[in-house]
Amino acid sequence: MSRNTIRTLISRQKWIAVVLATIVLAAVLSLASPVFLTLSNFQAILVQSSVTAIMAVGMTFIILTAGIDISVGAILFLTSALFAQLMLDTENYLIAFVVTIVCATGLGALNGWLVVYFRVSPLITTLATYSIYRGAAIHLTGAQNIPVPREMGFLGNGRILGVPVPILIMATIVIIGVYMLSRTRLGVYARAIGNSERSAKETNLPVGRVTIAVYAFSGLVTGIAALILLARVGGLQSGIGIGIEFTVIAAVILGGTKLTGGSGTVIGSVIGAVFLVLIDNGLNLMNASPYIYDVVRGSVLLAAVAIDRYSAMRRHSALEAQKAARMA
Amino acid sequence: MRKFLGAITAAAVSMATAVMADDITIGLSVDQLFESRVAVNNGIKAGAADKGYEVIEVVADGDPQQQNAQIQSLIAQGVDAILVCAVDQNTIERALIAAQRAGIPVVAYDRDLPDSRVVQAFVGPDSLVDGRLAGEYTAKALADAEGEIVIVELIGALNDQNGIDRSAGFREGIASLENVKLIEVPTDWDSARALSGTQNAIQANPDVAAVFAATDTHIPAVETVLADTGKLVPMGEEGHVVITGVNGSRDGYDAVLSGTADAFVVMGTDATGRTAVDLVSRILAGETVDRVNYVGGDLYTIENTEANAAKIWGAPK
Repeated sequence: MSRNTIRTLISRQKWIAVVLATIVLAAVLSLASPVFLTLSNFQAILVQSSVTAIMAVGMTFIILTAGIDISVGAILFLTSALFAQLMLDTENYLIAFVVTIVCATGLGALNGWLVVYFRVSPLITTLATYSIYRGAAIHLTGAQNIPVPREMGFLGNGRILGVPVPILIMATIVIIGVYMLSRTRLGVYARAIGNSERSAKETNLPVGRVTIAVYAFSGLVTGIAALILLARVGGLQSGIGIGIEFTVIAAVILGGTKLTGGSGTVIGSVIGAVFLVLIDNGLNLMNASPYIYDVVRGSVLLAAVAIDRYSAMRRHSALEAQKAARMA
Repeated sequence: MRKFLGAITAAAVSMATAVMADDITIGLSVDQLFESRVAVNNGIKAGAADKGYEVIEVVADGDPQQQNAQIQSLIAQGVDAILVCAVDQNTIERALIAAQRAGIPVVAYDRDLPDSRVVQAFVGPDSLVDGRLAGEYTAKALADAEGEIVIVELIGALNDQNGIDRSAGFREGIASLENVKLIEVPTDWDSARALSGTQNAIQANPDVAAVFAATDTHIPAVETVLADTGKLVPMGEEGHVVITGVNGSRDGYDAVLSGTADAFVVMGTDATGRTAVDLVSRILAGETVDRVNYVGGDLYTIENTEANAAKIWGAPK
């Protein structure tokens, strides 16, 4: 492979910026804290990223269609509430699991259907459903905390062959996501819709069905993330999922997916999620003052976005130069 | 004759209060619904029902702007008094001034507004004392520890006076310990953040001796991390991590009973709610009341938790 192909390979990957930012941040952290570069810390980082990363896989598909789902945190909360309440009432894992996952998928699909049917901006539509879903969950539980059974903890801190279960679940969903995006019609159509919904319609792509499908898929993975979070936190609390939608969207955007749709990768979103966890992990390891967290978080995010813009500009000027060379 | 007049006056007064009681409506402005807040609100509703007051409850879902608007609407509905638990102590004042202009007394509950010129009284937990109780317990449990003592402290929201005071109190409580390394983990009252924060803190300091949770609802998350890292050792055995928390929820109750947590400080939620209504009725009757009314918490350990379940608001009923 010549240097040029490597260079084009790298410059084509939009997630390279976040990888670079992650490596730089990791290097700084390993200097700042001796614990950072340990296997157990890496495991901890991946476990902590799992919930955001799983949700980011679903969100990537939505943003690829130029959509957005603000209600994922509320779906997370409502499905957790449903699961906890069902376990309390029926003590039957099978019923609770099936109902929860079906419900999560349904809530996502409902978002998609509303977006398609009423043609209102997904931002507004899902802002409304955010309120409905969260309200429904508060109503369902009366804002009470509900503990989940101990065995449930296996989902959150069990291990299979030495690997924490949340990491295995995350890896499975990421592989499915990568496959779906690059090898199935759904992935290709989603990108096509994001590039130009009109062209997609004119070429007779099933725009409505694909849109509903990506929102439903996002709901499904959010349901799975909800179960992991519930297992790790040890019970339902009414604060679950508040603000997580912004972390998830930030992870996707950091990972190089365009907010305007059409281009992006699943891997990028996952690295974005890990990057966001790294910031808090580092601050915790360094025993930083609690008052400085938000400032550092914001600054690092800004730096990552700046790197992304910079590399995009370089890509652009390289393309322009190529074009100029061809014209000459 | 005098007696007769006195009897008439008494009858008139009691009739007047009866009529007034029928008409009195309390506007209840809640920051957000979660377990312990609901417990206090239930105390308020019970106290109001006893006095024959009506309660109009509005919930701001953690949004200061929304709370402002809701207080304005309570004023417009002509409530007789407002009980408020503010989302944010700095942004609420404008709405409260409007209430004052309308002649509506304001009582803060659960979260004080120390700088407000409008709030006539406050009733709520004495978070400094609550934190100190947990700190003193921790200090006693670790009195014989040698070398550096690592204590992880899960701090609540940094804009919440109760969280700040519990931390300050906890520090006072452990002041008798020497050579303490205190690891501060901000949580914003979010269990997911408490979870990852504890995990990171224990990564960096594997020899952790104690954990203090500003709310005991974080204790199950702490338990997850300790189980992850093989540090979940029952009380009384070598290597046990001393865990304390403040609140009184079901999570804390279960954790203390199972021996995971050592002790928890239980807030008097019902008493807080009833005192709030009491303050309102005294202010409306023209009495002067104390500006600050604390309802202190009680510390329970495995020895006295079950016996006092009736006093612990989160205990299964």
